[in-house]
Amino acid sequence: MKLWVYIVRRLLLFIPTLIGLTFIVFVLSHSGGTNLVLAEYVNPRLTGEARTLLIQKLTEEFHLNQPIYIQYFYWLYQIMQGNWGYTNTPIFSGSVVTAIELFLPNTAMIAAVASILIWVIGVPLGVYSAVNRDSATDQVVRVGSFSLYAMPIYLIAVALILAVGVYLKILPFAGVVNPLLVSNLSWYHNGISYPTHIILIDAILHNNWQVAWNAFLHLLLPSLTLALATVASIIRILRASMLEVLDQDYIRLAWSKGISAKLVYNLHARRNALLPLLTLFGLTVAFLLGGAVVIETVFSYPGIGYWTTQALLNNDVGGIMASTLLFGLILVSANLILDIAYAFVDPRIRY
Amino acid sequence: MSEVLKVKEVKQQFYTRRGIYKALNGIELELRKGEVFGIAGESGSGKSTLGLTIMGLLPRNASVTSGSVLLDGKDVIAPLREYATKSNQKFNFRRNENVIKKMNRELSTIRGNKVAMVFQDPMTSLNPVLQVGYQVAETMLVHQPRTLAMRRLARANAKRSDLNEALKVLRATESDEKALEDFFRNKGLEGLTEQVISIWRRKDLADAKKEKMILSLHSEKLSWFDRFVLNAVKEKGNLPSWLSKTPILSRYTRRVLLKEGYLKALELLSTLEVPNADKVIRMYPHELSGGMRQRIVIAIALANNPELVIMDEPTSALDVTVQAQILELVRHLKVKFNTSFIFISHDLSVLSEVCDRIGIMYGGRIVEIAPTKEIFDNPMHPYTKFLIAAIPTLEEKEIQEIGGAVPDMRFPPSGCMFHPRCPYIMEICRERVPDMIQVSKDHYVACFLYSGDNK
Amino acid sequence: MQQETAEAGRWENLKLSISVFMANKSAVVGLIIVLVYLIDALIMQFDPMLLGIHHPDVLVPNFLNPVPLPPSPQHILGTTYPGIDLLTSILKAIRIDLAYSFFVVAVGASVGAVIGIVSAWASGMFDEVIMRITDIVFSIPYLILALAVGFILGRSLWHMSIALAITWWPLYARYARSQTLSTKEYTFIEAAKAAGVGRTTIMFRHILPNVLPPIFIQISLDLGSIMVIFSTLAFIGFIPSANIPELGYLTSLGLNFVQTAPWALIFPGLFITIFALAVNLLGDGLRDVIDPRRRG
Ligand SMILES: Nc1ncnc2c1ncn2[C@@H]1O[C@H](COP(=O)(O)OP(=O)(O)OP(=O)(O)O)[C@@H](O)[C@H]1O
Ligand SMILES: [Mg+2]
Repeated sequence: MKLWVYIVRRLLLFIPTLIGLTFIVFVLSHSGGTNLVLAEYVNPRLTGEARTLLIQKLTEEFHLNQPIYIQYFYWLYQIMQGNWGYTNTPIFSGSVVTAIELFLPNTAMIAAVASILIWVIGVPLGVYSAVNRDSATDQVVRVGSFSLYAMPIYLIAVALILAVGVYLKILPFAGVVNPLLVSNLSWYHNGISYPTHIILIDAILHNNWQVAWNAFLHLLLPSLTLALATVASIIRILRASMLEVLDQDYIRLAWSKGISAKLVYNLHARRNALLPLLTLFGLTVAFLLGGAVVIETVFSYPGIGYWTTQALLNNDVGGIMASTLLFGLILVSANLILDIAYAFVDPRIRY
Repeated sequence: MSEVLKVKEVKQQFYTRRGIYKALNGIELELRKGEVFGIAGESGSGKSTLGLTIMGLLPRNASVTSGSVLLDGKDVIAPLREYATKSNQKFNFRRNENVIKKMNRELSTIRGNKVAMVFQDPMTSLNPVLQVGYQVAETMLVHQPRTLAMRRLARANAKRSDLNEALKVLRATESDEKALEDFFRNKGLEGLTEQVISIWRRKDLADAKKEKMILSLHSEKLSWFDRFVLNAVKEKGNLPSWLSKTPILSRYTRRVLLKEGYLKALELLSTLEVPNADKVIRMYPHELSGGMRQRIVIAIALANNPELVIMDEPTSALDVTVQAQILELVRHLKVKFNTSFIFISHDLSVLSEVCDRIGIMYGGRIVEIAPTKEIFDNPMHPYTKFLIAAIPTLEEKEIQEIGGAVPDMRFPPSGCMFHPRCPYIMEICRERVPDMIQVSKDHYVACFLYSGDNK
Repeated sequence: MQQETAEAGRWENLKLSISVFMANKSAVVGLIIVLVYLIDALIMQFDPMLLGIHHPDVLVPNFLNPVPLPPSPQHILGTTYPGIDLLTSILKAIRIDLAYSFFVVAVGASVGAVIGIVSAWASGMFDEVIMRITDIVFSIPYLILALAVGFILGRSLWHMSIALAITWWPLYARYARSQTLSTKEYTFIEAAKAAGVGRTTIMFRHILPNVLPPIFIQISLDLGSIMVIFSTLAFIGFIPSANIPELGYLTSLGLNFVQTAPWALIFPGLFITIFALAVNLLGDGLRDVIDPRRRG
């Protein structure tokens, strides 16, 4: 099979997955009867006559008096139009799409920093630990990753806050920036920075390095927590798969050629050992996103996760359903990209 | 004749949770230059383990308790043996593995260069994520960068007239390689010899086509920088440190040499009669059949013309015609480069076709060694007799089964390993290990039936 | 004769299994810890007075002195807001966490395992559909999905565990399916030899005995993970303020005192970690026993 055939096929498979995903969210938001949809789409600030009118309009738009399986298509149509409903939480009240626009960049930011940390910490440690199996370093890495793996994320967060924030007092651990620094800035209102909504980038764009540095410091602890929570399983999987690969015949053949240990480990073994990690990449993304929910809550970090818990605590259907759909979309797309990338790395998959 | 390999009294065992498997129990073996030595024996008798021990390629749970393997003037397994003696019953996997790592470093100049091995299972022996061309080229890149540089430089420096003359030389001397070599050496184009010859020797092409290919090996474009780099490699004999230590430069040099390595890999594969070799070198192992992979593995082993090649069941994955080609190749290399082979096989009839001598293994010991003809005409050890009798022949005959089971190597039988299954068992067989005794020139057997002093 | 050797073989196998397990010291420690937790849960269930605890189902606040107190002889692990003694609360919470995690595992896993086995066994269209469904469920991070499902059901402990069970079965379905498929392959060769054996017989005689043990191990391993997720959901506020002794909820009570009373966060969290760690260690040991390659 040619590479492009594989890619096209994979893209075609993407469609039923999308339908399934939206269907699940649809079913969830309809399992409470029609009022959930209304709750999702009615701007909670509306009252009186206007509200009744809106409900009438929605009933028409979403065909709420039709059978439910037909409603699905109208709902899907609205979703594709970008009409995701309303959310009403203490941190944001208004259209869901706006909420996503405001919060997603922040989550993307910690996820990105965490991913870099994971890659930089996890891969070398996993490989080193396998290559030097049973050495003192290996023992430490194993115990460490085992314990991290068993720890609930919030406990990792709390431990880091206590150690770095409270005792050492070197890093801030609440919010995205010190509010005193940004109180009088033209590009910052009501906790929202413009134009990218990521305060670190905005500060750099506006050449305000003091704020940028402060925002960067605020980014570190949440990212580090997220990274530590994920890296444990990466190290464990990589170590195990590296050990397995090192036992293979082709590694023995590599040794028999008299090539250097560096080449054997870093080319012949590592490339193969990373493959199972790639297939688990989807799980990692899921873990990162799930972790973000908890971590953003603990650090009061205004991202999608924080918004989701706020929605949960405030009985906000719009927020919950929208973030479920959003997280699902992100994960599904990540898996799609990954599968295609995988085909480039592992020649076997194309067949 | 001088020896390329001397194996003395090697005892080797595997530590597992189920117990200690005594895989080799005192192997004695000497291999002469240009000799093909066959090893036969049933599954589990330790044939592969012997090959791996000679290469020093043992897993972390393997311990060499005594003996030595002299290869290229070096005792390959000395560090492992020293560790086993020092640790003295308290075997520690991690320490043993460290010893093995040290051995890997020490042996890197020998492995792939002086001695190479073809492993038993071609399906799992190639790295699935690397192109086969790379896997062949890599070993040349490590051990003979100079040859690669010279090949490339020669193609850039040669003129069409040089190749015309070379063809004349070939025709005039009736394909004498020596003459061609001298011719190119005088011209300062040593790198061309093997390229011309490998084309000349190909059987799948018409003469006209071959001549055209040979005539095209000249004036190939080479950028000044590549020429500079290649010349540096040629002068130094391998990568000079200013090339190998500088990050980007070293990568670049490797790339240039690797490209030439791919070409040489292509030649090697054509010699092994791999069809469409130019496409195959860009393929990945899973795209190839078992027989094809086996030939790639063989190409890797032969890439640097090692003095000793250990072939572990190299023909088992191949059909009969390909098998014949491989055997032919072994014979050819033996004559041309004086290469020695250890040829491991279940199948005595395969061994009979190429081997000068054959050793029969049982329970981690060689029980009989004799020249090929002698082993078939006059097998002496009872186990050898069984093996010979079990070879299927054209005439119908009753195939004799060897009674009894393969011994459990955790608790090997006392005395002669074969005694529980031997029809001629005597009292002494249970008590003492029989020594190798010489029964005629080059024929040795370890059996009390022939020792004369069975007290 | 044949019978005897088979018997002896089985006995030797068992002996080997035990010795392999015992050789793994950390697995033994894991086993002991898990047992301790179990015993605590049983005591809380049947005779909490044994440990001097009066109300095993609720937290006992002390509004006279609500600010968390550091560990002292009266409160060995200190107190958390509002004046709740941590040690007794944790002892109570272990029962609740364990019970609900057991519930999630029992329901989620057995539904998943049955679906997976049947799906692999039936193959064809049914299999295809089931696998698509699990794929899709997998495409939503479980924490989020559980959150959404729980939200629809209404926020309570029960609903939280039902939500978790609903979101976890696909994992087991997949696992059970792959196990069954790999077993099926060689069982069929056997079956072909002994032709004429009914499908149901093969299923019960050959497939289930081979498929179930690894699934059980996987399940028991997940007990730790589920407890972690369970408490995480509780921590982020899934249980509306109630007096339920649950480790995650207990941790969240101390969140506002992170600077002044770290123990209020650390101790409840630690007890979850220790349990998850122990289960993982135990599982590692069990896998050593099952996996012939790791048996060595
Ligand atoms: N890595 C290992 N760990 C433990 N035991 C091993 C290992 N490798 C080989 N053995 C044992 O050593 C003995 C010899 O094995 P070996 O592979 O050398 O046999 P062989 O003669 O090559 O058999 P075959 O003809 O099947 O290839 C066997 O009993 C085997 O179980
Ligand atoms: Mg073998």
